[in-house]
Amino acid sequence: MEVLCREYWHANQEGSGPLLAATISPIAPPNYLNRLDAIYGDTNAASISRDISYSLTKTANAAIQYPNPEINSWTEIYSAYWYAIGAILAAEHPTTKPDWTKVYEAWKDVANTVIKGYSGGVLEAWTLPVLYTAGKHLRAFAIKADENARASGGDTSFNAGGLQEDIAGDFGKNEKLEDAARVINRMFTLCISDRAPLEESRKWGLYYTTNLLFKTYFKLNSIGLSKNILRALSASKTDMPTLEAFPRSHIVTFKYYVGVIQFLEEDYAQAEENLTSAWHMCHRSATRNIELILTYLIPTLLLTRQQLPSSRLLSPYPSLGSLFAPLTLAIRIGSLSAFDTALAEGEHEFVKRRIYLTLERGRDICLRNLLRKVYLAGDLDEEGKRNTRIYVKDFAAAIRLGESGASGEGMDVEMDGSAGENNDEVECLVANMIYKNLMKGYISRERGIVVLSKNGAFPGTGI
Amino acid sequence: MSAAADGSGPTAKATTAAADTSTTLKDQQKPAAALEEDDEFEDFPVDDWAPEESEVPPGQEGGTTHLWEESWDDDDTSEDFSKQLKEELAKVKGQK
Repeated sequence: MEVLCREYWHANQEGSGPLLAATISPIAPPNYLNRLDAIYGDTNAASISRDISYSLTKTANAAIQYPNPEINSWTEIYSAYWYAIGAILAAEHPTTKPDWTKVYEAWKDVANTVIKGYSGGVLEAWTLPVLYTAGKHLRAFAIKADENARASGGDTSFNAGGLQEDIAGDFGKNEKLEDAARVINRMFTLCISDRAPLEESRKWGLYYTTNLLFKTYFKLNSIGLSKNILRALSASKTDMPTLEAFPRSHIVTFKYYVGVIQFLEEDYAQAEENLTSAWHMCHRSATRNIELILTYLIPTLLLTRQQLPSSRLLSPYPSLGSLFAPLTLAIRIGSLSAFDTALAEGEHEFVKRRIYLTLERGRDICLRNLLRKVYLAGDLDEEGKRNTRIYVKDFAAAIRLGESGASGEGMDVEMDGSAGENNDEVECLVANMIYKNLMKGYISRERGIVVLSKNGAFPGTGI
Repeated sequence: MSAAADGSGPTAKATTAAADTSTTLKDQQKPAAALEEDDEFEDFPVDDWAPEESEVPPGQEGGTTHLWEESWDDDDTSEDFSKQLKEELAKVKGQK
């Protein structure tokens, strides 16, 4: 116990939250790989609490007054921690079947004793990293426990038949993670309800706990719950430090999740702002996180600014390249068939990342580029001005080519056969383009032509 | 939220289809779980960092313009699709 207690006093002396948090880490540091074994082997269930309280007192530099609420709090926390270590070591033992549910329950006791330390006013704001460590691992153990339960649930009901297995599979799928979400929510409440002056307020823990909740809700697929948190945050905005005053890791994570939530709500202007600033501020060596930010920023900018990622942007991220390059190329050249193929081929990944529906809207941009090409292919008059009257037939031919992906002889037949009907569809597409302000002009139906605006026929594209 | 709700459509369909046999169900679940894991925003190794260690340090936001391109391309007249389009338009013109 003395090792643990010395670490405790050292952290206190330094006034270092991260050092204090390290004392309850469930992962051994690289320079002390058998830390957990050493702590666990040092005492037993019968005398754990007495041992810790005795060691904490003995290793203190100054005389300790009794009763000491701090010693009591940490005795509770370290006792719970000791039990959790026991469960972790058992789970990691190579010959036994790991019981992550047990680990989760044991760690939940750690989290609860930590929460109690704060709500009782014993733990001060500088120790907040302790709360973070408790919450972060609670979530991780919950995910492991649920995976475990799902895997073993599948084993036991294996012979029960398809339908029952399905029901068993759905039931209690994320039981522990849902439970963890409630505990983390209490951590959030602990931070937001603190009325101490800002310098010593737990409000500094707000974005960390918020991010932890976001991650949990996303994993649970209950993204809607994040809105409650955002509402609570904006309600207490006036007595909170500004976002810029927080550590960058908190800010970037927060902006990423808020940006994704806005993206999913199709509030693309706000999403653009948050995702762009997350991208800018992100640590440059956090490649995976940059990749995730860009996964949402790319579809966002496609809609808000009709911009595409350059190959230079994508080249450091091969997986982003394979995700977006085919679609990007199709849009740029205005090939509808290449667009449809790219969208269909990436469908699984796009749906998984919840960007399919947004990317699908890129088809309008692809069509705009195609129609723009028709316009550019038109003749110039004697003053060097481009012809702004374009036959619907011309657009129709371009769209047919764009959709088929090749100029085949078969198309002439189709054109002769159903030209009228086809032109109605094309007029509809053109009207849509005009409505969406991707094209400026009007359709003259009786003459079968589209009259484009003389200045800015395709707004924002330089012509 | 409609995007998320709509997005669940195809996923739900895939699951029902896979439920036909327990083996396909299992096969389908594994990669999905792996992907979700992979999808999570990672913890940064450090809590805070200097502004200049950011991907785009403050003051250099203007330098990102070359990373994004306009969605159209005017210099592609030699590219296959544009060529085909020109031929096609010429053909239509001939029929007028």
